[in-house]
Order: sequence, then C-alpha cells, then structure tokens
Amino acid sequence: MRRYLVRQLVQLAVVVVGISILAFSILHIIGDPVTLLLPQNAGKEEYARYKHLMGLDQPVWVQYWKFASGAVQGDFGRSWYGNAPAFRLVVDRMPPTIYLTLAGLGVALLIALPLGILAALKRHSFVDTLCTLLAVAGQAMPIFWLGIMLIIIFAVRLRLLPASGYGTWQNFVMPAFCLGAFLAPITMRLVRSGLIEVMNMEFIKTARAKGVGERMVVVKHAFRNACIPVVTVLGLQFGQLLGGAFITETVFAWPGVATLTVDAIRNQDFPVVQCAVVLLALIIVSVNLIVDVIVGLIDPRIRAGT
Amino acid sequence: MARAAALGTALLIALALALPREAPAQTKEDTIVYALQSDIDTWDPPGSVLREAIILGYQVFDHLAVRDLKTRRVGPNLATSWKALDDTTWEVKLRQGVKFHDGTPFTSKDVKATFDRVLDPAKKMIARGNHAKIKTVEIVDDYTVRFRTDGPYPLFVERMTAQVMESEKVIREKGDEWMQEHPVGTGPYKLVSWNRKQEHLLVRNDDYWGAKPHYKYVRIRIIPEQATQIAELLSGGVDIMKAVPPDQMDVINKSGTARTASSPILRTAMLQLDQAARSGPNPFTDKRVRIAANLAVDTDAIIKHVLNGLGDRVATGINPMAFGWDPNLKPYKQDLARAKKLLAEAGYPNGVDILFNEGPPVVEPGTQQTNDAIVADMTKAGFRVKRNYVGDNTVLVARVKEGKFGPMFNWSWGYYSVFDADAILYDVFKCNEFYSYYCNKELDDLIISGRSTLDQKKRTETYVKAQKVLFDDAGYLFKWGLRGVWGISNRVEYSAPPDEIDRMFLVTPRKK
Amino acid sequence: MAVGSGAAVGPTPFDGAASPDTSGAGWRRLLRLKWGVGGAALFLVIVLSAVLAPWIAPRDPILVDIRHRMAPPAWMEGGAREHILGTDQIGRDLLSRVIWGGRVSLLVGVSAVLLSSTIGVLFGLAAGYFGAGVDWSIMTLINVMLTFPFVLLALAVIAVLGPSLPNMIVVLGVTGWPLYARVIRAETLALREREFVLAARALGMSHARIVFRQILPNLVSPIVVIATLQIAQVIILESFLSFLGLGVQPPTPAWGNMLGEGRVYMLNSWWIAAFPGLAIFVTTLVINLLGNGLRDWLDPHMKL
Repeated sequence: MRRYLVRQLVQLAVVVVGISILAFSILHIIGDPVTLLLPQNAGKEEYARYKHLMGLDQPVWVQYWKFASGAVQGDFGRSWYGNAPAFRLVVDRMPPTIYLTLAGLGVALLIALPLGILAALKRHSFVDTLCTLLAVAGQAMPIFWLGIMLIIIFAVRLRLLPASGYGTWQNFVMPAFCLGAFLAPITMRLVRSGLIEVMNMEFIKTARAKGVGERMVVVKHAFRNACIPVVTVLGLQFGQLLGGAFITETVFAWPGVATLTVDAIRNQDFPVVQCAVVLLALIIVSVNLIVDVIVGLIDPRIRAGT
Repeated sequence: MARAAALGTALLIALALALPREAPAQTKEDTIVYALQSDIDTWDPPGSVLREAIILGYQVFDHLAVRDLKTRRVGPNLATSWKALDDTTWEVKLRQGVKFHDGTPFTSKDVKATFDRVLDPAKKMIARGNHAKIKTVEIVDDYTVRFRTDGPYPLFVERMTAQVMESEKVIREKGDEWMQEHPVGTGPYKLVSWNRKQEHLLVRNDDYWGAKPHYKYVRIRIIPEQATQIAELLSGGVDIMKAVPPDQMDVINKSGTARTASSPILRTAMLQLDQAARSGPNPFTDKRVRIAANLAVDTDAIIKHVLNGLGDRVATGINPMAFGWDPNLKPYKQDLARAKKLLAEAGYPNGVDILFNEGPPVVEPGTQQTNDAIVADMTKAGFRVKRNYVGDNTVLVARVKEGKFGPMFNWSWGYYSVFDADAILYDVFKCNEFYSYYCNKELDDLIISGRSTLDQKKRTETYVKAQKVLFDDAGYLFKWGLRGVWGISNRVEYSAPPDEIDRMFLVTPRKK
Repeated sequence: MAVGSGAAVGPTPFDGAASPDTSGAGWRRLLRLKWGVGGAALFLVIVLSAVLAPWIAPRDPILVDIRHRMAPPAWMEGGAREHILGTDQIGRDLLSRVIWGGRVSLLVGVSAVLLSSTIGVLFGLAAGYFGAGVDWSIMTLINVMLTFPFVLLALAVIAVLGPSLPNMIVVLGVTGWPLYARVIRAETLALREREFVLAARALGMSHARIVFRQILPNLVSPIVVIATLQIAQVIILESFLSFLGLGVQPPTPAWGNMLGEGRVYMLNSWWIAAFPGLAIFVTTLVINLLGNGLRDWLDPHMKL
C-alpha cells in the first residue's frame, strides 16, 4: 500500500507541475496582456513601460522560473486586474464553488441513486429505459438554458426563490439542481451497472441461498460494492466540473472560482489564471487520490493487486 | 459503509453550518440595489480603465467640477470657480468646509497630491494619459490652486469632471496598495465592504457637504448574465440596471414591477473603413467606395425598426451632445443607384468583396441585428460582404489596436464622458493613433488647431470645418449616437443619465 | 466471443459476470431491444433531415428580414404560416435554421468523436499493452488532461487559430480522448494476459499484429457504445463553447449558438431559444436510446 501511495503522490506532483507548465505556455501563446491592460488612448512608450513593469519582456523560461519558485512558497504574484495577491483572490472564491460542487454532487446522487437502483432491478424493462431517459434529460438541456428557465419559473413568476446571488440556503437550490442534473446521467449509469454486475456475483447467490431477505441482500452487499465505481466517477466528475460550474456560476451570479478563472483567462491576467489552475489541479488530484485510497480500502480485489 | 455514510453526512452538515451568513444590516426600505455586469478591479479610480470604476467613484468621491444633468454643462463641485489666467495657466478656487470620510478637511494640498500622484510616471496610473497636459499644480493658498499646462489646454474644464479628489494624508500615510481597497473620499457614500466580483455595500455619509442621499445603503451586485439581471429586476432583487437591450424593453415595461427609461448618451457608433490601409491594401482607400458604402445603407430604417427608434442619426462621428457638433450638416441618405454608379467608377462594376470584422455586443447593444441589416443593404449595392466574428471583446480591442482589424469593422466610442469633439477626433480619426484607421493631413491640422486654443468660438469654427472634411471624404461609415436604456424598479424615482454615470445619491422612493 | 486468429474460443472479455443474456434468435433480441431500435430509427430521421436540409428547409436560414423580426410561431397570435416556428431576432426563419443547424451540430459531433476515439483508443491500447513506463506516462497525461480546464484549452486554441468549424472539432476532439483511453486501457490490461494473446506471443507475432488483430477487435463494443454516447456529449459541449462566444460563428446556424443568442430572449420571445434547445434535447435523448440499445445488443454486461 505504501508503495502505491508513494507512486501516486509522485504522479500527483508531476501532474500538477505538468498542468502549470501547460497553462503557462498556453497563456503566453494566446496573446498580449499589456495591450489589454492599458486604456484605449495609451501611446507606444506607455506600452513599453508597462511591459517592462510587468516583467513580460524577459525570456519565457526566466518568467516560468520566477513563477514556479514563488508558487512553491505560496506566492503567485499579484493579479494584474484585481490589484491584490492572486493567491488571496483565488482562495477567497474557492468555498462557494466547493459548496456548490458538493451540493451538485448531492443532488446528482439524489437523482441517480433511486433511478439507478430501480433501473438495475428492472433491467431491460420499460422502467429501465424510462429511468435512463429521466437521468439523461437533465444533461440533454444545456445548463444555461435550464438555469434561465428555472429562474423565470421560480424567481420571476412564482417568486419562491431568489433569482441569483449567494448567502442563504435558498440561493443554493436552483444552481445545485442545475449542476446535479448535469452530473446525474453518468452517475446513474454507473449505479445501475455496478449494481447489475454485483447482483450476479457469487457471494450474492450464497447470501440468497442462506435465506437472507432479498431486500437485505440488495441493500447490504450489492450496494456496498456498487458504490465503488460511483465514488470513482464522482471523484473524476469533481475535476470536470469547471465547465459546468462556470456556466452555473455565471447564470446565477455565484461568486465562485470558475467565473474568476474564466474572466482571468479572457483578461489574460496571468497570475490569477496560473494560481487558479494550479490550486484547482492540486485539489482535484488530491481528491482523486483520496478516492482511490478509499476504494482500495473497500475493495479487496484492488488491494490484492497492489 | 454505513459508518462512511454517517461520516459523510456529518461532514456535509458541518460544511452547511459553516456557510457564510450575510449580516442583514439593511432593510428593503433603506437600501437601493444597483446591478453591474462586471466588477471593478480597484477602488482607486485613476488606476482603472473600467467605466464601472468611474461610476462607483462618483458615489464615494467628489470631483472638482461635475456635469449638471439638466443643462449638460460643467458646473462647480469641490471647485467653486475657475478661470484661465493666461493661455497656459488655470486658477481654481476650492469649496470650504468639506471633510474627507476620515475627518480630515479638504484643502488645496489634497488637489496637488492627487494630481502629482496621477501624473507621476513612476506609478502605474492608467489615468495619466488623460491629464498629461497638466505640467504642474501649485498651491496658492489653502483654497486656491493653479494648474500650469503644456500649451493651451481647452479641455481642462471638461477633464475636471474626470478626476476624483483623494486625500493627501491617505496618499502619504497609506500608499497605493491600501488605497485599492479602502477609498477615502469626500463623497455622499462610504464603502462598508467589498466582496470581489460579488457585491459592494455602501453607507450614507451623514457629514456630506452637499445634498444628502435619501437611501442609507447602496448594494452593488455583480450579475454577469443579462437575462439574470432582468429576472432580478422583475422579481425585486435589483432596483436599477443599465444597458437594457432594446428587445427586452417591453418585457420590463409590461411587468408591472419595473419600467425602462432611456437617454441619449455620448457613445457614438460607426463602421470603421480602413482608409489608411493599416491592414493592407483594400477597396476603402478609394473615396468613391467609401461614399458608396455610406449611400448603400438605409440607416434611418435600421434605427427605426431594429433599434426601435433608440438612436440619433449622425453625419460624422461627432455626437450631438458634444461641443463642436455641427447641426447644419445632414447625414447621407440611402441612394442605391448612386452607390452602384460610384462603385463602377471606382473600378468595381460587378461589385466588390469586403471582409467585415465584428464582435460581441458588449458596449453597443443590438450590434448583431443592426450589422445583419447593414450587410443586407450593402449587398444590394454590390458589396459582397464576408463576415468574421470575434467572440471576445478584449481580443477584439487588441486586434484593433494592432491594426489588424480592417478593412471594415464595427466600432463605437464613449468619449471618456468628455462632451467635446476633440475627445473623439483625436483618438479615432487622427493619423497613427491606436484606434484610428483614417489618415488625412488636412483633418490632422484641424484637430491640432482645435486643441491649441482656449477661444471657444475659434474652436467651434475649426470643428465645423473638420466635420465637413470628414463628411465629404466619407471617412467611415457613419451610424448613430446611442441611447442608453436603464431598467428601473417601480418603487423608486430615477432618471437616465446622459453621461452614463449612475448616481445612487439621486435616487428617491416613488410616491404612491 | 473472443476473436483470435486460429486460437481457441475463450470466455467473454468481461469476466466475473454470469452467462450472457444473448440467447434467442437475432430478431427476437431486436424485439426486446425495441427502445434501442426506436432510438436508432429516430436518429436516422434526424440525420436524414440534416443531410437533406437544402431540400426540406422551407426558407433560407440566413436571410435577414428585419421588418418581421421576432415573429411568434404560427399557432400563436401574431404568427404567420410563412414561419411555422416563428422568426429570430433579425427575422430569419426558425424552422429552417433548426434543420440546417442539425447539420453543423451533427457534423461537429461525429467528427469530434471520430477524432477523440481514434486518439483515445491508440493511447489506451499503448498504455494497457506495453504497461510500465509507457502506461505511467500516458496515465499522467490523462490525468493532466482531465484536470486541465476545458475552457482554458478552448480559449487558447480558438484565440490563436480563430473560431471556425474545424478548430472547434479539433478542440472537442483533443479534450475528449482521455475517457476512451481510460476504458480501453483497462480492458487491454485484462486482455493482455489472456491465453490467446500469450499464445500469439509465443508464436513470435509482432506487437502491432497482436494489438490490432487480436485485442482491438474485442474492444469494438465498448468503443462503439462510448462513441455513440459521446456524440450527444459533444453536441452539448458545442453549446457551451457558443455560450463563451467561441463556438460556430453567426450567421451559420448551429443549435449551440442559436441557444446562446436566444437566451436573453427567453423572457419574451421564448421560441428563439426553445426550438433549438428542444432539438438538442431530443437528439441527445435519441442518441442515448441508441447507445443503450447498442450496448445491450453488442454485450449487455458492459459497464456503461
């Protein structure tokens, strides 16, 4: 187990460094942040002055080295647009996104678990297809469409929920639902298939032979093992959420790190983009690692393999 | 497994309880809610390029002079009077009895400190270019200041409305970084808190020297998605929003909870034609082709049908509200036959291929629809228009500056809220300027002479000449002055500001 | 049903499961899979309508008519028979745009998926077959791709190369391959130790032959199923890109950019966004039905 952990940690470090290099390179290819930073009537000497002040006239590898050496100490430089340390800007906006992601995952589970179980139990029947369709329905509508529809119905017409913003639990309802609906289909499929696979396994048949009630069989044994692929994918999904989270955050004026990052990308605010990408990568890869460890602990098959 | 589930649930509950609670210090009655699509980057206005920074600066700071919204002329604010002592010296008298939010009295040393800081080349002040004509600021006494300028500076008075007065004590003791997040002004509101890209909270300055605002609190909410802003306006979450797209006006007006108000604004729209060949050789270097383009489009119909009448036709890029505008110059009228004839004369009897670069409707609402209509008209005259859409406004601005956006692209100019012809002529029509694709020595001479004298009568004559030159030469495809549309909740009274600066301190509740 | 050149028929590639439910004659299975067949038929209809767009679309999808802009659908007050589904914000016929939009969306979907599946399968085969260092490098690359923000990559590619249809396909293809790679890698790892592969090695077969002639054919099922489902995913991603302004550029109609443009109008002229949204919705559902059907037909014990 320890060797496995060490290997995974090394991979984690490599991934994070790889991402930071990739992000760095891409940012420098995209364009010219100096032009965007200056007001519309700035002259050519102002341009040169700014470029020098921002350290952008030095060779690329020098810039990367300065960035990397600072980053390791937690100093990601100052945002060129926010005029505050990039680290603080990113960290301030993390909690809303994390809360939203967790809430979204929760909603996804709420939708996917019952549908997945039902579909697995009634495999190949009409119910199975219906459950799949219901799960897919949430993803088949682009999030911004779903989000705006929800706002129109629940905030404008019915006045039940606030249209946007962050602060009370009512603010969570619609955005979490949008995210959850987005994640539900893949989660549901995995619950279903994991359950199917496990239901046919030997120890289930043994349990049945022992006369334990059918429902107990399902709940106790099958469920436990079906969780494994679900937990794995949820760990994966946590990483892919930047796309879905960005749209949800924009539509619902959610003060999260996804909108911060995309704005920074558009503004070519290098320090913030790099900081956000690296920190997010760290979180995502760590979550995946924790998930892998937990799964390894639960599932004896994998443990034997390491 | 059950244990894991229980642990997970407990964790979730703990996280839920740890959620931030908004401290509801305000009630609905004493708070006004204003929506912005994007947040400012700093509360130190001279350090920002953003219009939002100008607007928010008006709430917390004062200026030496401000525009009177009814007469549209510049009037006293922190300065009580001013006069030009000679061609290069302006003397300004300051108001007495004004205090900063921290209690320090406002005197001439604050004016000097503010300008010295902005003009200092070692600092990164964005606003420096706007005031570069000022050489030095001298203190005569506690309430009198003299500005020495580099040559005659006729825009001095207008530009007084474009610089907030900051505290010398704060500049000296706290420094630039602190000032980004802690604005200390003399204005009608004070900053209470700032959650970046989410919300600002302002509270009334009860020691304000001028008319006190009615509403005690101002909440400035950042809502990036326009549909959400409108939904919030309709459901009562927002009281004032700006830049309502013309197509959404009837939704708001029919809602019963809010209404729209519009006002002509300085921003003027046009299609830039690459006469100066910055992007390479192209048909628009020929004057006949440019005139043909202007003659091809039925601009009045577009304003009427696509913008629902919310635009003011202009003959050139000079806005009707700007000093120097010539009311006697009539714009081009659509004449397809003459357009085709001119194209043939220019060597394109079978039409001509043109690339049209466009961008998103960030500052000019409805561009997609109006551009589609313009292209349709131009096609009728023989222009074969190929369209290229750039989805990102920041990228677009960069390409324009680099000279890569010709031969034809959509453009508008906000004048920096300076109601003067020079504010557009210099930046958008002069040779070799970043945002200009036009080069005409005759016009350049007129522009220079226009800004080199304080004699307003002479300047008016110069600008009339300049407009004639531009019009006859069909410098660009001229469109219209924009009208800003605001969405206003029915629980408040508010009028649309022609300088696009929203003043929360003027908002009052609606009488039932 | 392993496919090996001359080797003995081995058990199914997915061990640990009970006997496959593939009994019965072909047509009886098809009957059981009626939802899948229905999905396939509907999908065919959608594809045909996209292919035949120039003939079945009632009007020109990019013809501007500002005097009739934002006309409601024909059955509503203010609607007209010329525009059955109404017109958009500059007067273009919505029905024609939805039909033509299908072309772009499907083209992007299929091409991007072809690209990502090819890349992903190749990487997955390499990782699973060669193991050790190759596997580790590819897995690291996969992890980097999966944690790298899709938005940043999209912005980068499109900002540099310009927003166009081929560039969009490249972006979507390049970001989609990790999923295939993971699955194919896992299956390849399992297959690698199987008898027929070991036998082939003993016979001195080259790696390439083993990979492409023995292992790959067994993976056709998961590849096909994942690819089918990914088409739906890519169509949704295209709408994301349009939301960012990086998608298919106007005036070319694509469901994604029609939705993006129409979203402000959802408050009053709701049909501008509703019909392209409905098109995406139905197509995605139909593709999922088809994918499920394929899965159940090819091998019911697949994880997806």
